[in-house]
This record gives sequence, structure tokens and C-alpha cells, in this order.
Amino acid sequence: MTVAVIRAGLLLAVLAAWEIAGRLGNPLLYVPPSAAVPALVRLLGLQSYPDLGEHLLLTLREIVAAYGLAVVAGVACGFALGSSRLLGRAYGPLLAALYAVPAVVWYPSLMLFFGLDAASKIAFGFLLGFFPITLAVLAGIRQVNPQLVTVARAFGASRATVFRTVMLPSMLFTLVGGLRTGLALSVIGVIVGEVLGSKAGMGSLLNHAYGLFRTADYVALVLVTLVLIVGSDAAASVLEHRARRWTE
Amino acid sequence: MSRARVRLLQALSIAVLLVGWEGIARGGWVDPLFVPAPSAVVRAFGRIGAPALAGLGDTLVKTAIAYVLSVVLGVAGGILIGSVQAVRQAVNPFVIALYGMPKILVLPWIVLLLGFGSAPAVVYGTIHGLFPILVLVTGAVRDVDRGLLTVARAFGARRWQLYWKVVLPAIVPTVLAGMRLGVVFCLLGVLIVEMFAGVRGMGYVMSSLANGFQAPELFAATALVSTASIVIVVSLDALNERLSHWRGDVR
Amino acid sequence: MSELIVVDAVDKRYRTSSGPVDALRGVSLAVGAGEFCTLIGPSGCGKSTLLGMLAGLVQPDGGRVLIDGRAVDGPDPRRVATVFQDAGLFPWRTTLENIEFGLELQGVPRERRRAVATELLGPLGLRPFAGKYPRELSGGMRQRVAIGRALAIDTPIVLMDEPFGALDEQTRLLMGEWLLDIWRRTRKTVVFVTHSLHEALALSSRVVVMTARPGRLKAVIELPMPYPRLMESADLVTLRAKLWSEIREESLRSMGET
Repeated sequence: MTVAVIRAGLLLAVLAAWEIAGRLGNPLLYVPPSAAVPALVRLLGLQSYPDLGEHLLLTLREIVAAYGLAVVAGVACGFALGSSRLLGRAYGPLLAALYAVPAVVWYPSLMLFFGLDAASKIAFGFLLGFFPITLAVLAGIRQVNPQLVTVARAFGASRATVFRTVMLPSMLFTLVGGLRTGLALSVIGVIVGEVLGSKAGMGSLLNHAYGLFRTADYVALVLVTLVLIVGSDAAASVLEHRARRWTE
Repeated sequence: MSRARVRLLQALSIAVLLVGWEGIARGGWVDPLFVPAPSAVVRAFGRIGAPALAGLGDTLVKTAIAYVLSVVLGVAGGILIGSVQAVRQAVNPFVIALYGMPKILVLPWIVLLLGFGSAPAVVYGTIHGLFPILVLVTGAVRDVDRGLLTVARAFGARRWQLYWKVVLPAIVPTVLAGMRLGVVFCLLGVLIVEMFAGVRGMGYVMSSLANGFQAPELFAATALVSTASIVIVVSLDALNERLSHWRGDVR
Repeated sequence: MSELIVVDAVDKRYRTSSGPVDALRGVSLAVGAGEFCTLIGPSGCGKSTLLGMLAGLVQPDGGRVLIDGRAVDGPDPRRVATVFQDAGLFPWRTTLENIEFGLELQGVPRERRRAVATELLGPLGLRPFAGKYPRELSGGMRQRVAIGRALAIDTPIVLMDEPFGALDEQTRLLMGEWLLDIWRRTRKTVVFVTHSLHEALALSSRVVVMTARPGRLKAVIELPMPYPRLMESADLVTLRAKLWSEIREESLRSMGET
């Protein structure tokens, strides 16, 4: 109760400080919340950017494509590597070593290869989402008790049945976590790609607003994009909880 | 299944990948404008050598500053938030929210605010590196064994001694883990700013090469910065290993 | 015999999620210098709370605790050292460094405290383990390090909260003999909390039996017989029976409560 009051107070204090700083500071650099709200209304009323819907849809499509590819490739790759201990031990560390490299180093090459359009964003979103999914599948397979698999095989279960009844339930927990992380990273990948260079999509709108010093519109665009990102993660979290309940 | 076989397979796979790639590129199956042969990439190293190394140096200096800031602020903030319950309850949800928030959204604003010099890169790198360290250290401080604090109090420890003799040594492994995680994030932040609005540094070099369609040079630059990152992480790991050995931790 | 420790009509109640719990009610006790005083009683009878008050870690809600005639208002490492139940060693410190801990807090120079700690290794039986970390030591060794840490600051009073509670029976017996030897040589005042009848009878010059919650004094038994004690001797067998009947009643009550 008191904690909630303190937190709300803190939030209000930050907003108030932001308001004061925004009013005192250069309006090109600082936007007070009181100016962000009308900007958001204008944005959502399609006044500042009439084609907002198209950009939003493009970004969404890029995300769906990137994530879809990442899931398919990540799951396939994870099971391929997980099918043999030798493969897992050889390629697992190589994959992990790639984690030691900030992913954005690959983006210029992707941009060169796929151009400035959607393809390079999809490729980058795919790349970011692919790794956590692959590693989660690998980790999940390691959690399967080999004895249970042997028992099921001994009772004459087919490979498909073993997979459905033994392997999937024991790896689901880890797998679903990896799928959620993968989605979050695919979303970020697409938006980073758009901000770093694009002609369409939410990232390009952000860049446009920033380039023209339309700072209030920029803040409004940030809020809309944030809703997109937080919304996708919330949806993933609901699915995650449902899948985990199903395991128990 | 021996270690040697694993190593052999790793080396062999990389060799096959490089040789196959070279063959495909030479065979003319892909456009060398987009996918240069490894040999062309190696030759490109010679051409971009000096400016790329200068760019890398510039990037690493900014990363180092961002890293020091991240570690100092992250550890200090984590100790404050973790050890004072009132602060933790009030502030922690905001920290977690900021940690999870995609930092790319504030990138244009930071550049707008700080211009095109090194400052936005350092600030943005710090934002990336700070939060994982802050969150890890906060948790570690909160979870310091109460029993050890009671022992220290019973032996007459003053407040600063509780921090210096109990809390700090207890969180060392977490701080090291956070430092390992943070360095890649700092480098990531710095590179993104350089690609977005840089006038110097490796990110700028790479995005100019991409815009100029200089694929071999771009691949060489990518290899260079990746290698640098891996070397940094591996040496941090080695340091960590030695420290934990010295601390008597058993793996 | 002067009274080094005086506990005068002390109360303590804790607030828990299921309402307040009386841990101690009206406890009075005096311990003379050089005594080995053992507190025994069922789980949750407030033995550890009482010990915590002597250590200055727990403040009484009513009554007062005097040590050497002065009220206790916080930990006082010049007069009281404490040994905790689970050793509470710092995992990042070696045996020697753990023993030095209290001296280090007091600002004793490095050479001096190293000398004190090294001196203690012999009687602690830890000489070969000076450079080992706690996780490399057995439970009995860890407890000896914890005792060494308390002895190093050379206080007139040593408090021990079930120091051997986590050890196996054999180790426990040996540690008891060893502790007795140390106590008889140093002549410190010891307040000792235990669950073990055997430990209480073998070590104490006085045993204080506490009641089930809320903790009160039920009986005080003097044990004037010389050390080392033969558990089979007639007077100890009688005392054992008496002590057991006192504790049994309280333990049954505390079991019935839960």
C-alpha cells in the first residue's frame, strides 16, 4: 500500500521534473509531457503522419517474417545439433562464441546484401531471434531424461510418440522461454534495422521526425512503437504461462 | 567421445566453410559484389588496415569509457538499491522496466541532445552496459547471507565495515559475471551510435563501406571487430577464472 | 564468585504474520565469572533469543541485561564473542583470515593479528588447514574455525549457540571433549545453548532448563562434580534422569502445541 504510493509519487515526480525541464529547455531538444499528449493525439488522428497505418503494418509484417523464419530455423537447427552429442559439443560452443560479438556488427553486411528495403530488416530480426531459440532447444533436449526415452522405446513407442509424450513435455519449459526471448529480440532487430537505415516502417518514421527536429512527434512515435513492443512481449508472456501450466 | 574429436570437427567445419565459400565465390555462383571470396577479404585487410585499426581504436576507447561508467554506476547503484529496502521497493520496478525497454527508441533523442561527437556513443554504450550490471548486483546484494552480516555485527563491525568486509566480497562473483555481460552490451551501444550518426569509429567505417558497396573491405572490418570482441570476452573469462581460483571456488 | 552477566526480568515478543509471539517472559539469570552455563530446552523456547540479547544483537522489550554491571546496548567485541550455530564463516576467507576477522575489525595491525591467529591453530587442531577455504573443510573443522574466531578476540565471555548442532554424534563427542579442554585452560565464562543432554551434563557447571514458549526459567541445576566426568557415575545418572524429566515435560508441551 505505502510502497505503491511511494512508487506512484516517484513516477509523478519524474513526470513533473520532465515537464519543468521540458518547458525550461530548448523545445527542439526537450518535450514536456504536456506537449507529448497533443502530439500523440495528432499522430493517432493521422494528422502528423497520414500513412502511419502503412508503416506500422510494414514493421509488423517484417517482425512476423523475421520471427517465423527464426522459429523454423532455430528449432530445426537446435534439434539437428541436439540429435548427436558430438554435433552439440562441437557447434554449441561456436554458437555461444557468436554471443560474445555484438550482433549489430552483422547489420552493415546484411544491408549491403539485402538492400535498404524490408529484406535486410527481416534478416537482422531473424539473426537476433535465431540464436536464443536454437540454444533453448539445445538446452531443452539436455533436460530430457534419456532413461524415460529408453523406457518409452522399450514399450514400443514410435519416434513420433516418444517425441510427443516424453521429449516435448520435459523440454517445453525451456523451449517456450527461448521462443519468448527470440520474439523480443526479433522485434528489436527489426526496429534497430529500420532506425539504422530504411525508407519505410516505424523506425524510418522515428528517423524522419528526428531529422526534422519534430521532437514532439518523435516522442509520440516512440510511445506507439513502445506499445507495439510491449504488446508483443505481453502476448508472448500469456502464451508462455499457458504452455507452462499445460506442462504441470 | 574425446575432446580431440570435438576440436577436430570444429576446425574441420570452419575449414570446409571457408574453402566451400571460396569455391562458390570463385566459381561465379554468387555476385562478388555482395559475397566476396575469403581470399579477397584477406587482401582487403591490407587495403583498409590503417584506417580500420584507427576506427577500431576509437571505438574501443569509447567502449572502455562507457564500460568503466557502467561498472562503477552499476555496482554503486546496485549496492544502494540492494541494501536499502525502502529504496529497493520504490525504485526496483522502474529499474526493471528500464532494463527491459528497447534502448533503440531513445537513440535519435540522445544523438539530438549530444551531437555527433564521442559523447552520444559513450552515453548510449553506458545505457546498454549499466542495466544488466545494476540488476545483477541489486539481486546479489539483496541475497547476501544474513547470517554473515549478523556474525560481522556480533564482532563489532561498523556500517562501513559491513559493506567493505562482507557485502563487497560477497558480491564479487556477481560483479565479475556482470562485467562479462556488460562489455558486449557497451560495445553494442557504441557501434550502434557510430553506425547511426558517427563521424569516426568502427561502426562508422562499416556503414560507409556498406554504403559504398565495398564488400571485401566490409567483411574484413566485420571480422576485425568481431575478433576484437571475442578477444575481450575471452580475456575477461580468463581473468574471472584466475580470480575464482584465487578465491578458492570449486567448479 | 562475582556475577559477570545479569539478566533481569527480560521480555521479548516478536511480531509474526500470525500475530505476536512471546519468545521470552520474565527471564532472570545470573552467571558468574568462569562458569560454564548451559541453556537447554525445547525448540523455540527462546534460548537463542536470550543468547542474542547477551551478544547485543537482540534488544529486550522489557527488563535489562547487564554485563560487568553495564547495560548491553549493542555488540561489544571487547567483552563478548559469539560462536554461531552454522559456523557463519566467510567463504572468501581462509581459515587464518577467518580467525583474524574480529581483530581486523578492531584495527589490530596485520602482523600482530596473524601471530594471534597462528598461535591458535595448534590448540584448534587446524595447523595443516591454515590456508584452506571453508568449503574445503569438514563440518567439525569449520566449527573449530568459528570457535577460533571467537577466541582470537580474547574476550572474558564466549557465547555459543548450538555450536555442534549440525555435527554427527562422534564428531560431537570429540568436539565436546576438546572444548572442555580449551575452557579449562582459558577459564573464560561460557554461555552455551544446546539440545543435547549429554553435552549439557558433560560440559556445564550449571544447567538452566527453559520452558516451552513463552520461554521462562523452569529449573537451574548445579553440577559441582569435577571434569572429566564419567557419564556412568551414580550422581550423573541421577542428574541425567532429573534433567530429562524436566526437559521431557517441556518438549511434550511444545510438541503438543504444533
